[in-house]
Amino acid sequence: MSFMQTRPIKVAQATGLRTWLATSTGRTVVTSVFIIAVALVTAVILIQVQGYEAFGTIGAGLQYALGSGTSIARTLAWGLPLYVAALGVAIAFRSGMFNIGAEGQVYAGALAAALAGAYLGPMFTGLHLVITTAAAAIVGGAIAAGLGWLRAAWDVDEVLSTLLSNYIIILFCTYLATGPLRDPGRQSGTTREIFNSARFTEIMPRTGLTWAIVVVLLACVGTWWLSERTIVGYRWRMTGESPGFATAVGINVKRSRILAMMTSGALAGIGGSLLVTASQGRFWTEIGSGIGWDAVLIALIARARPIPTIVWVTIYCVMRATARGIEQVSTVPSELSLILISVIIIAAAAKSGLFARIAALHTRFSSTKGR
Amino acid sequence: MDLIDAFLASGIRFTTPILLAGLGCLTTIWTKDLNVGLEGVMLFGAFLGVVIGLTTGSVGLAIIYTLVLAAIAGLVFGYLITVLKVNVFVAGIVLNIFAAGATVYLLRSMFGVKGTLSDDGIPGVAKVVIPGISNVPVLGPLFSGHTVLTYVSWVLVVLVFIAARRTVLVRHLKAAGEHPAALISAGGSVVRMRILAQVWCFVLCALAGVQLSMGQLTLFTEGMTSGLGFVALAAVIFSRGRVLLLALMCVGFGFSSAASIVIDDSVMPPQFAQMIPYVVAFIGLVVLARTSKQGSTRIATPVMD
Repeated sequence: MSFMQTRPIKVAQATGLRTWLATSTGRTVVTSVFIIAVALVTAVILIQVQGYEAFGTIGAGLQYALGSGTSIARTLAWGLPLYVAALGVAIAFRSGMFNIGAEGQVYAGALAAALAGAYLGPMFTGLHLVITTAAAAIVGGAIAAGLGWLRAAWDVDEVLSTLLSNYIIILFCTYLATGPLRDPGRQSGTTREIFNSARFTEIMPRTGLTWAIVVVLLACVGTWWLSERTIVGYRWRMTGESPGFATAVGINVKRSRILAMMTSGALAGIGGSLLVTASQGRFWTEIGSGIGWDAVLIALIARARPIPTIVWVTIYCVMRATARGIEQVSTVPSELSLILISVIIIAAAAKSGLFARIAALHTRFSSTKGR
Repeated sequence: MDLIDAFLASGIRFTTPILLAGLGCLTTIWTKDLNVGLEGVMLFGAFLGVVIGLTTGSVGLAIIYTLVLAAIAGLVFGYLITVLKVNVFVAGIVLNIFAAGATVYLLRSMFGVKGTLSDDGIPGVAKVVIPGISNVPVLGPLFSGHTVLTYVSWVLVVLVFIAARRTVLVRHLKAAGEHPAALISAGGSVVRMRILAQVWCFVLCALAGVQLSMGQLTLFTEGMTSGLGFVALAAVIFSRGRVLLLALMCVGFGFSSAASIVIDDSVMPPQFAQMIPYVVAFIGLVVLARTSKQGSTRIATPVMD
């Protein structure tokens, strides 16, 4: 034991730790621990304020989210559209196009899929699903490509144009669903129910987990490959990181911007179509329930990288299902998960600044003491 | 004639929250930290106004407490984006989504209601009826019968306009954005100016929210700002930091919002009428990008590297 106390080795250990902390793995671990700590403290405070024992309540929530095969399937099933939509937002962010209009594109995709599913067919299931998904991708992609073109060709700021497009598109979809395309057999604003051939079948009964997971897996792998392994993806990334450099090396920045937006919108549209074909079976006026906004948050926290995006959607699914579980055993509303993810993003963004600040204070403190 | 009067009155009514939020956001465009979180702050302001009004029973206290809380939130936000170097665009976007979730959370955990909080105990902001012109057509609806906050917003336009021309403070704010080095050599603090701009922004946006929930109505509904903050943001971007142009833009957006409630269902479906302000803003954005010499104003977005 005594050799541990000798000075040189202690210094070596310290520097070893320092260098490890400076590596990217080290930084990731530090960031993760910091984020988890902040999120946990926030959750504990919010639950305690409502008068419940925090850890027991969180445990019950986790049991609801991940307690059995059925609950895991249910948790995952809810997240399927979000995987696709979040990847869509991420790929646009990565290309320097801030597509904040995912919510509108999700609605447009959902409506397109609902119409293709209800007015075409019935037909062979596989073909019908391809048609509904493609219809959603085309509509979502066309909207985003149009906004991308406005930015690329006319320099119309895409942040504001996509933000405003949300309201225009959602109101237009509401008009269609409550007006000319309303299901006459129903009171509220919904379109007609889609044919069974336009529905994904369940893998596990009564969990809502459908074969749509195949589409999601394809989208995940395809987006990762496109973004990280192809020349097109490289061009988009360059366009995002430094448009000037991209132009100088002969990348067609205009084209990259439009195509990246188109892909982004198509993915958001597919996310919307899954809401219809994998769960709801028809379009209704509040079908999106904010998954476009969730997608924006996740793309921000994942810094628009495909794999972190997939990881964060998974974490968010568990958080959301846990919040649902907590809501069932307490009076803590399930919006808890949205609050926590917002806190996490700000904590992650503030981390380096905060640590630098603490380090500066520490130096000041110790130097005063030394004097 | 009644229809025109109703249109003018609601035009002024709708202008107020947009104008207040726009005037708030103006300082953040001066310091080049454009806050895109207006919508979120308005929503919090609307919520807090109603909750504090319901618990204290007093409009004055509701407004004062809400503004104090907004100022504290502004300080925190300013600290985050300056000292802790959080990207202001990211913080603003998160703030919008956070506000939508947090107000629902608070509504459900504090009152156990979902959707709308409405109670006879919620006080409303007093309306000022100017004797003599309240019954005159056109002038009456334009100048009389509005809430105190409407008059406050127009007084603020004048004050901010004068301040922008004559005060050192505004010059310091603009210097913090355009030429930080100059501000430092003049003995000012860039960080302090940037935080101050955010505090002002938060206070005015919260006031805009109070106008929505306690001036126009006396209730709170989930997501009741419904994009007005983004419309105000558009007005700020179009005006490029000029006060009178901003006021003009806000009036334009206010009246296009008013059109949505005046237009009858027989003329066009209600959804199309509600779209008008957003479509106007969208077209304005495109026109601005096409006509202005410097190109369109970019919202400073982070690089995702």
